[in-house]
This record gives sequence, structure tokens and C-alpha cells, in this order.
Amino acid sequence: MIEIKNVTKSFGKLKAVDSASFRVEKGQAVSLLGTNGAGKSTLIKCILGLLDYTGDITVGGLRVKDHPKEAKSLIGYLPQEPLFYDMRTLDIVRFFARLRKVDEGRSISVLDKVGLAEHSSKYASELSGGMRQRLSFAIALLSEPTFLILDEPTSNLDAHARAEFLGLIKDYKENGKTVIFSSHRLDEVDYLADRAVLMKDGRVVMDEEPHALRQKLGLGTKMNIAVPDEYAALAASVLAGAGIIVHGRNGRGFLVEVKGGDSLHPLRELMSRDIPVLGFSVEEPTMENILEGAGRDGN
Amino acid sequence: MEIRNILILAGKETRESLRNRWFVLYTVSFSVLAVLILSIAPGRNEITGISGYGRTAASLINLVLLFVPLIALITGSISISGERENGTLQYLLSHPVTKAEVFVGKFSGILVPICFSISLGFGLAGIGVALRGGSGDAAEFVLTALLSGLLAASLLSVGFVVSVYSGRASKAIGVAVFLWLLIIVLGDLGIMGTAVAMDLGIKQVFALALLNPAEVFKIASVLVLSPRFEILGPVGVYAVRTFGREGVIFILLSVMALWTIIPFVYAFITFSILRREES
Repeated sequence: MIEIKNVTKSFGKLKAVDSASFRVEKGQAVSLLGTNGAGKSTLIKCILGLLDYTGDITVGGLRVKDHPKEAKSLIGYLPQEPLFYDMRTLDIVRFFARLRKVDEGRSISVLDKVGLAEHSSKYASELSGGMRQRLSFAIALLSEPTFLILDEPTSNLDAHARAEFLGLIKDYKENGKTVIFSSHRLDEVDYLADRAVLMKDGRVVMDEEPHALRQKLGLGTKMNIAVPDEYAALAASVLAGAGIIVHGRNGRGFLVEVKGGDSLHPLRELMSRDIPVLGFSVEEPTMENILEGAGRDGN
Repeated sequence: MEIRNILILAGKETRESLRNRWFVLYTVSFSVLAVLILSIAPGRNEITGISGYGRTAASLINLVLLFVPLIALITGSISISGERENGTLQYLLSHPVTKAEVFVGKFSGILVPICFSISLGFGLAGIGVALRGGSGDAAEFVLTALLSGLLAASLLSVGFVVSVYSGRASKAIGVAVFLWLLIIVLGDLGIMGTAVAMDLGIKQVFALALLNPAEVFKIASVLVLSPRFEILGPVGVYAVRTFGREGVIFILLSVMALWTIIPFVYAFITFSILRREES
């Protein structure tokens, strides 16, 4: 378990983290959600003992202030922008394996696990952004840590690499490990997190399960659904009849809003009435929408 | 502090130094010049009374004074600032290592290759002397090489002080080069100028010389190599007559050790205790 109690971190007059408190139970995946500057990365650095803070943080029962090294040995960390020594990929992993007292033979197996085995002789500077992210993940997995802390793990990845990477994290979570990851994407939170901790200006403003967060904040997913012209009128009445908000029409497309995260609801309604769907796209709420919702919620 | 972690970090640092093209260039230049010095410094010097190993070592002193402080100050100054600038320091510290282990590992991991290049230069020159018949005392030659290692350690410590206060490698290199100019180029001039301007006595001039590790190295090396301490001038005569030759060498070695220990401890405390955060 990771427990954060009343943690405050200031840089001069700026409170980057302001009295943050929450706990992450064993086997849970918790997302730190917030815009840039919300305090997510600073809080992660406090958990890793890289920054001084007031308040208390315990990792696996170890107080970080008293046992920083032991606490860090329980954590696998993936920074937002992984930076490495200019060494060969395998040598980098071996170096960290030695520091973590892990059998060096495991270096190859973690590289294989993240799909980098064939790039093991390349220098870090020759790897793409996605590969460097995977290398960092391989290093984080080296000691099979109890806790995995990921700072915006997909922020520098393209759509394909992002999907692959989320799959890797999901596998890890499904093996019963505890994960904390920061993000500003609600779809990642839905996919991975058991709980979302919403941060704003350094404060924890909400701590909810993802679907409860959506409901509390009244967040909807917007969808563009295209149907053949001859079905347009029927589709409009079916959607309205199912209680789905239709924001408007654009040619063959309808812009609809789905509450509660069940994005497939409008599609199911249309298909149950044998209305062909030519295509659709999904627009997740932005971080601004989420924070607006949090503001309306009185936080 | 875990010795194991220090050794792992030192090993990485040493391997990186040996791969660094500037370090390789430095080592090759030092070695080639050491061998060249051997070829142009034959026979016995009638003024100093030094010959063979001693003559070669005496010639190498100026080469050491030029090269060793420069490489020690620069590599020391970028050791931490460089990693801080490119973000690898924070990533390294997110693993189960302490800042103290990182500091000691880096220091020893950089000192080893510098000492290796000094040994290579002296070694090649020593082999050359041996092939020519090897007159003189080889122990004095080895002692001069050890003094060069001590000079490297002291200026590496000074470089680390620069490094712990710098967030950028370029700034740290600038300060290191300035210090090198101050210590090496302006060292003698500074002592002479201060002595004349302030009308200092011999005792004060000797004390002033102890403030510069390069001067200390130079005096110690000459005393080790030459039986004629008069070549050090009035200050040398004063020092040897007051403390004895062995006494002066002991004082100079102690001062060089202090020049290593004090900046090392200061940088260590600053890095691992006072500036605990790496944000």
C-alpha cells in the first residue's frame, strides 16, 4: 500500500502540492489526473524521495523520509521523458539490474517482454521516443517491483505505440501489481484505473472510481455517428427516444453526447432498429471539461 | 553507503571516461609528449644534479602541470552538472541508490582513468629510460608519478565543488577553465606579484605557495628529485633549513592531501546533505 498523508511541497511561494492525501491499496491502479502544473509529477517525485516535503508518505509500510532507499527498491518508476546514458540498450538495463541487485540474465527477458530484444545492441540515442519509453518500462520491471509509478507514460507516443504501451501496463496490473500513473487523458483512466485522483493547483479535488467521476462531473463522451441519408430522420428519433442528447447534424453525421462512459449505447440503439452505421468517431472530454465539471461540483 | 553500489557506479563512470574521445585524446597526447620529452632530455643536468629517471621525471613535471589540472578540473566540473543538465541524475536517483553513493562512485570512477593516463605517460617514459640504461633512482620517478596522482585528486575535488553548484555543464566548464588559468598560468605570477606588492617575507611567501596545489606539487616534486634544494630559490632554502628536507616534503604532502580532502568533503556535504533535492 502507498499512503500519502497531508503532503505539501512548495517551491518558494508556490505550493506545487497542497495538503494532498490519499491511499493506494495493494493491487489497485490509481490515476493522478490533472493538467500540466497540477502537481502530479511533483507528488510522484515526493513519493520517490527526490524532493523534500511536509506530511508523510509510506510505501509498503516504509516511511519514505526514514527509508528512502528501501522504499525506492519497492518501486519501478517510469519518468515522463526517459533519459539515458549513451550506452548500448542492453548495457543500460544491465547497469540498473546490478544496482537493483537483480540477476543480469533478467535484462534480456525484460527487453524481450517490452519488444526491444532485437534492439539490445543499439545505443540509447538511436532509439525512437516510443522505444525509449519501452526501455524505461523494461528497467522499471527489472526487479518485479511491488509498485509501479508512471509519470504520463504515453505523453510522447503516437497512437499505435500508445495502444501497445497501455496493453503492457494493463498486463502488469492484471498480475496483481499496484500502479500509480499520471495522465490527462480520461480514456486511459477508464482503461487502466480503479480510481482517479483529480488534482488541481496542487490539491486533490476528487478521488473517485472513473465511472463515478464521470457521473459526478456530468462528463459525457461526444460521438460523431454517420448513417445513410434515408435513415437520418429515423435515427434522430431513435436517439432522442433513447434519451441520448443529439447536439446537431452535419450531413450524414450526428453529434451525440453519451453520459456515464457507455460509448456504445447510441450504436446499440441504432443497430437494434436495423439502422446501418456507416462510421463513427469518439471525442473524449478534455481536461478543461473535467476541471469545469469539478468546479461545478463545488470543489 | 553500500560499497557494492559505489563500485557499480564507479565502474560505469570509468567505462564512460575511457570511451570519451576527449579523454582518449588527452591520454594519447600526454603519453606521446612524455615519450618525446624522454627523447629530448638525455643525460645529466649539471645545475640540478638529476639524471636518468630523475631527469625524465623533472621534465615531466611541467607536462603534468599543464595537462593533469586541466583534465581533472574539467571532468570534475561536468561530473554532476552534466548529469543534472541532461536529466540522468534524477533518473539515477529514482533507483535504490543514495546521493552519497553517487558522489563517491563518480569521484573514484573519474579518478581511476586520470591516474591510468598518468601511469601510462610515466610508464612509457620509464620504459624508455630503462631501455637506455636506467641511471638514477627509479623510486623518485615513481614518487613523482604518485605526486601527479595526488595533484589530480586534489583538482578533481575542486572540480566537484564547481559541479555540485552548477546546473549546466557549459557554465561548469567555464568556471573550471578560469580556475585552471588562475592556478597554473597565474599561479607563479600571483605569488610574485603579491610578494612584491605587499612586501612579504620569505615565511609568508612559503605560506602563500601552499595555497596553490600546483605550486605545492611543483615544490614537492623538485624536492623529491633533486638533492640541491637551492634551485627552489630563497623560499626553498628557508623551508628546508627550517623544517628539513623530509619535513618540507611531509608538509607539502599533507597540504596536497588537505587540498583533496577539504574540497571533497565540502562538495560531498553540499551535494548529499545540504542540496538533497534534485528537482
